[in-house]
Amino acid sequence: MNIFIQSLISGILIGGVYALIGIGLTIIFGVMRVINFAHGDLLMLGMYGTYYLFTLFNIDPFVSIVFTIPLMFLYGGFLQKFFINRVLGSLPQNQILLTIGMGLIMSNVVMLAFTSDYKILSTTYSSSSVSILGISISSPLVISFAITAAITAALYWFLLKTDTGQAIRATAQDREAAQLMGINVKRMSIIAFGLGSALAGTAGALISPTYYIFPQVGSIFTLKAFVITVLGGMGSIVGATLGGILIGVAESIGGVYFGSGWKEVVVFVLFLLVLLFKPAGLMGKSNT
Amino acid sequence: MIGADITMKFPLNSNKGISTLAVIISLLVIVLLFLMPNYVKSTYILHIMILIFINIVMGSSWNILGGYTGQYSVGHSAYFGMGAYTTLILMQFRQIPPWYGVWAGMLAALVTALIIGSICFRLRGPYFVLASIAVAEIFRVSALILKDITNVFEGTLTTEIPPLTINGTVITDFSSKVPFYYTGLVFVLIVILATWLIQHSKLGYFFQAIREDQDAAHSLGISMTLYKNTALGISAILTSLSGSLYALYVGFIDPTTVLSLELSVSIVLICIIGGIGTIFGPIIGALVLVPLSEALRSNMIGQSLISSGLVSAESKFGNFLTENLSHAHVLIYGILVVVVILFMPDGVLGFFKALSAKKRKETA
Amino acid sequence: MKRIAAAVMVFSLALPGAALAAKVKIGFVNSITGPEAPIGENLTNGVILALEDLKKKGIEVDLVKEDDTGKPEKSMAAFEKMATRDNVAGVVGPYTSATANAVAKLAEKYKTPLLIPVASKDEITRQNLKWTFRLSATTYDYATILIDMATSLGKPKTMAIINENTDFGTSGAKSAKAYAAKRGITVVAEESYAKGSPDYRGTLSKIKSKNPDLVFMVSYVADAILLMRQSREIGITPQAFLGAGAGFATVAFAKEKDISSNVFSSTQWTGDVNWPGAKDFDKRYRAKFGKEPTYHAATAYESMMIMAETAAKNGGDREKTRAALKSGHWDGIMGEVKFLDYEGYTNQNKHQMLVEQIQNGVHETVYPTKYVSKKPVYPFPGWKK
Repeated sequence: MNIFIQSLISGILIGGVYALIGIGLTIIFGVMRVINFAHGDLLMLGMYGTYYLFTLFNIDPFVSIVFTIPLMFLYGGFLQKFFINRVLGSLPQNQILLTIGMGLIMSNVVMLAFTSDYKILSTTYSSSSVSILGISISSPLVISFAITAAITAALYWFLLKTDTGQAIRATAQDREAAQLMGINVKRMSIIAFGLGSALAGTAGALISPTYYIFPQVGSIFTLKAFVITVLGGMGSIVGATLGGILIGVAESIGGVYFGSGWKEVVVFVLFLLVLLFKPAGLMGKSNT
Repeated sequence: MIGADITMKFPLNSNKGISTLAVIISLLVIVLLFLMPNYVKSTYILHIMILIFINIVMGSSWNILGGYTGQYSVGHSAYFGMGAYTTLILMQFRQIPPWYGVWAGMLAALVTALIIGSICFRLRGPYFVLASIAVAEIFRVSALILKDITNVFEGTLTTEIPPLTINGTVITDFSSKVPFYYTGLVFVLIVILATWLIQHSKLGYFFQAIREDQDAAHSLGISMTLYKNTALGISAILTSLSGSLYALYVGFIDPTTVLSLELSVSIVLICIIGGIGTIFGPIIGALVLVPLSEALRSNMIGQSLISSGLVSAESKFGNFLTENLSHAHVLIYGILVVVVILFMPDGVLGFFKALSAKKRKETA
Repeated sequence: MKRIAAAVMVFSLALPGAALAAKVKIGFVNSITGPEAPIGENLTNGVILALEDLKKKGIEVDLVKEDDTGKPEKSMAAFEKMATRDNVAGVVGPYTSATANAVAKLAEKYKTPLLIPVASKDEITRQNLKWTFRLSATTYDYATILIDMATSLGKPKTMAIINENTDFGTSGAKSAKAYAAKRGITVVAEESYAKGSPDYRGTLSKIKSKNPDLVFMVSYVADAILLMRQSREIGITPQAFLGAGAGFATVAFAKEKDISSNVFSSTQWTGDVNWPGAKDFDKRYRAKFGKEPTYHAATAYESMMIMAETAAKNGGDREKTRAALKSGHWDGIMGEVKFLDYEGYTNQNKHQMLVEQIQNGVHETVYPTKYVSKKPVYPFPGWKK
């Protein structure tokens, strides 16, 4: 029983980070109907940024998200304005290929600049844990979970209570109608991509004290992000949150009961099942 | 009658007949290619040609499903890998010569395709893409985990390929590259013939109808399941041919090389760069990608820039080039994808067609 | 006349360089870039030092260097080029087990001697290949020496195995399992993982619940660190953590003092072992490259020395070089080297493995006792909070 609870808890904690990645992807999809294959690479950029802020300026990874968020937001906006915007009307296949290409460019530029050496970010608390009732809970993961929760709450407030936030939701619901209502949908797309990138970069920052950093790390997370967003329902933030945690738990428990190597297969099989039986996802609307 | 309705809604966009000039040129090229190994002895050039052939087969087979039927699978590595592993396993463990093993590979790929099709074809557009990726990844991860079994099948000495004999005379013992060259050439011809036949048949007609407007086609009585799966089946079988050839030629396979997402993406890339839905598109794509990738890997570009004097070997830029350009080949891939999608979404062929159409308009 | 002849003889003996000045072309294929680049760097540096020493002995090595980026197809292409276009007398390398296995078959095809410095997958030298030689011990030996050490220091009864599902990892796990059975140790858990997962906590708590006396791990650096971090979090405290080389032998791992203390790592070589020239090599390497050499550097150095000397002595003739490698015998920084056929292995050097333990962020040789610099700490004293 202990093992079950242990894997459940660590699954939930890591699910928090997954959720953040998923939320970013789902916002992008919701507003632009673009499937962003470069999402994991945005996370990777966040990781590298955090790493260098830590090693060069001694800024703690959790503190450095103060820098990561705005920087990644601007970068995302830039990508949207100059690249993604041009294919918004094209075939979805072309959009996917474009983002794949952009992802390849990002990861390979980083590889050329910083080599593919694995970088480890070690803080004093990287391996600390608290023990509650015999279950050990990773301290850095708890902190990142808390930060994720805070960010998600802030995001919700933004989307529900502010004008811009509501404009974004309108664009996501019906782009043409929103445009007719006078919303600058182009601007909304830029903001959405910026938000998505900021969230991905932040996820990278949060996970960096407990993982390792290398240029190709993005691809692992991109695939996971897709599973999460499809599971939760493309365009639904609540769905992505739940999806993230569910995947974290599925991975963790799957790893224990089927053997560590089969973890990824568990996730993919889950993905296929969802695609087959409820493609709209847990919370999604059925407009493909 | 169904045919008439469909023709009205989906005018055929294939060429009514290739000009005789094109036919003559193509035949000439084919003859030259067959004669080439007699005059060109450089193993390096043969090697590049073999890679080009394999890539053409990869791209053209995908083209049938992606280009003509509009179903963008980014999981074609599954079929490539099935062909590769089946042929190699049979040869190493049952001593079945590859010219039979290849058929088993195609069968395996077909079965795989039908299974995958039944799962994935319920989905459309981007969801189909994602599903195809997920399925291929399941294959790859499974192969990795079952390494205890698949590990043993990782590679083979080309000397292990039994000599090809007909009526007792040995035709080749596979110790040189030449037999692989001819096999590749023959596969290319098979694939191009298949593509041509499809393009000019009712089958291809239905494929393209599905691509243009799936719902309309369905309402006109074209069976989605039947035709999508047929396209996938043909595509999978041909892809497995390239996988088998690759496995026998390179002599080494592992899940990361033959079942990866990177491979699936390059398969799609070959088609996109050349021009999807055309016969020559994948050929052009392969002709662009293979030499480019090889030039980068072996540092030819860097060296030639330096030896031609454009860049000094001592300068920082020169150093950077020699050190890094060879590893930049994936970066160049990425840049190529972005450029092509943004500026040449119909591929090189489409780009030139549009250009010449513009020119014709201007002179008219 | 006799006196002049004698004088000439004495004279020429006094000029060793002059008599032996020889030029030889050797190929070197390595993971210069790619995920294994940091370790590949050690091999490159070892070869650099070897070239210097060979020059001092009057041997000019024309080195043909190729990068395989860690991929077997690339190492095969590189080997083919070296064997056919560059016409090398022999090849040293590559680094990983996967690339080495692929290239070994090519050595046979192109009849070019291949000396593998450090790839440890057992099967490589179990294929009856006449042209492939391996300097380092096999994964079987990585496992056996750790288990031997553990049984000499305590009475472990159970073992958990956790390994990366690469060639090296799977091979190591298999060997550990087989040898444990021989020594009467029960394997209570076997977890093979695909690298790249951020979270091993579930798996580790499963292992913790089985209460193994020994935890045997095979991983490269990044996962080694993650595994140990999370082991500390979960609070696994076996009698010993046994790391089979690779990640656990690196300085990067040792530096993570919170998690590396008292972990054992099996290794092919250490800087303070008393084989001829080993300590000097260590000093020179640190002076020239500013960091500690790993066993990869030492194996690459010795492989290049052996290959170049043998090829030079035989005028670059491949068949003669191969025969000389087979019959030769050396004693250098890797200790005694002789390529033997035994127990199903062909051209395998019976290399003596060593065990290090990380104490205070530094690797110390602790086993076998005749090479020891420090005493091992056993059992595992627990985690510092």
